[in-house]
Amino acid sequence: MYKKPMSLSMKSIITLMFWLVLFSFSAAAEQKVQTDPVTGAKTWGTKVNGVHFSLTQILPEQLKAFYVNRGFSLEQIKSYTSSCVYMTVLRNDTAPGEIHYTSNNWTILVNNKRHILVPVSQWVKKLSKTGATKPALIAFRWAQFPPEQSYEPGGNWNQGMLSIGLSPSSRFDAIAKWDIAGKEFEAKLTGVQCAK
Amino acid sequence: MQNKQSRYYFLGLAVLFLTLLNSSYAEGLPPLTHGLSPVEKGIKAPELRFKNLDDDVVDLKSLKGKVVVVNFWATWCPPCRREMASLEKLHQASKNKNVEVLAVDIGEDVETVYSFLGRVDPSPRFQILFDSDAASMEKWSIRGLPTTYIIKPDGTIAYKAIGGREFDHPDILNKVIELRK
Repeated sequence: MYKKPMSLSMKSIITLMFWLVLFSFSAAAEQKVQTDPVTGAKTWGTKVNGVHFSLTQILPEQLKAFYVNRGFSLEQIKSYTSSCVYMTVLRNDTAPGEIHYTSNNWTILVNNKRHILVPVSQWVKKLSKTGATKPALIAFRWAQFPPEQSYEPGGNWNQGMLSIGLSPSSRFDAIAKWDIAGKEFEAKLTGVQCAK
Repeated sequence: MQNKQSRYYFLGLAVLFLTLLNSSYAEGLPPLTHGLSPVEKGIKAPELRFKNLDDDVVDLKSLKGKVVVVNFWATWCPPCRREMASLEKLHQASKNKNVEVLAVDIGEDVETVYSFLGRVDPSPRFQILFDSDAASMEKWSIRGLPTTYIIKPDGTIAYKAIGGREFDHPDILNKVIELRK
């Protein structure tokens, strides 16, 4: 029986396209790295079980400028700005329920060894001793990524600063953890690099 | 033969759908969302009593009988800045419908806030209140900025929104206006 050669090639093309798109879609659900064309700051992002997690580099000069504009002197905020800080986003788009996290359960791995984060409360305590003004300290406290939070699905989210406490150019993996009614979930970003 | 053709047709559609889904994942600024989370019925709004830009005291209690949108924000908070114009659009669309908007600034002075408001388009005409000690954060169980509560005319909380929103989105606008009934 005569077969049109065109229909065979159409079938192959569509099948190939289907698998290519499926492959790229599943890759996108894992990790994406983007670079801001203006500042050069990089963002590492992923989406797991309807929850978006991303870390964006805050460049050292941007970080200093932010806190000087809030009333800190460069000396007062030096201990915080001398290590790397990320603009962190966690958003519950379509998880099957309310998510809850405490960031002290999150894991930072440097060469597969766990690196401990300094809690926000300790930063506030430390900076209070520098003579920083009350408005500056309030801005500092509330500019940090919330140490604990719950998000209902449908787009509840926060954006805030997360101090990793590593020196410029360091590389690490970050694992954000949350639970839904006691069941644990996590999202991992690998090869995240501190800004220079 | 016809079955085969329709199978390719649906396969083609599936490819197109997945391509569109894939491209919508593109990241830039985190998107402002437009959902409101319902709050358990009967929870009364905590106390809220602060001075406004004119140095007059505004008390949430005095607004009983109205729907009140209470937004906690600061000028240094990027999503707070981004949602401010949409909050004014919500105010414009609902001010004659028994809805009041209060934006409570956390820890900043009048000059800082005033200078920021001048750059927002449309410029906010709703009440801006000043919580200079950030005292309301604990009272209202707020863990991050911005956070917004929608209060019913009976003084109980109807909805909560954590993170930046498009307040002029019909999903939000309709829910807010519906509450006046």
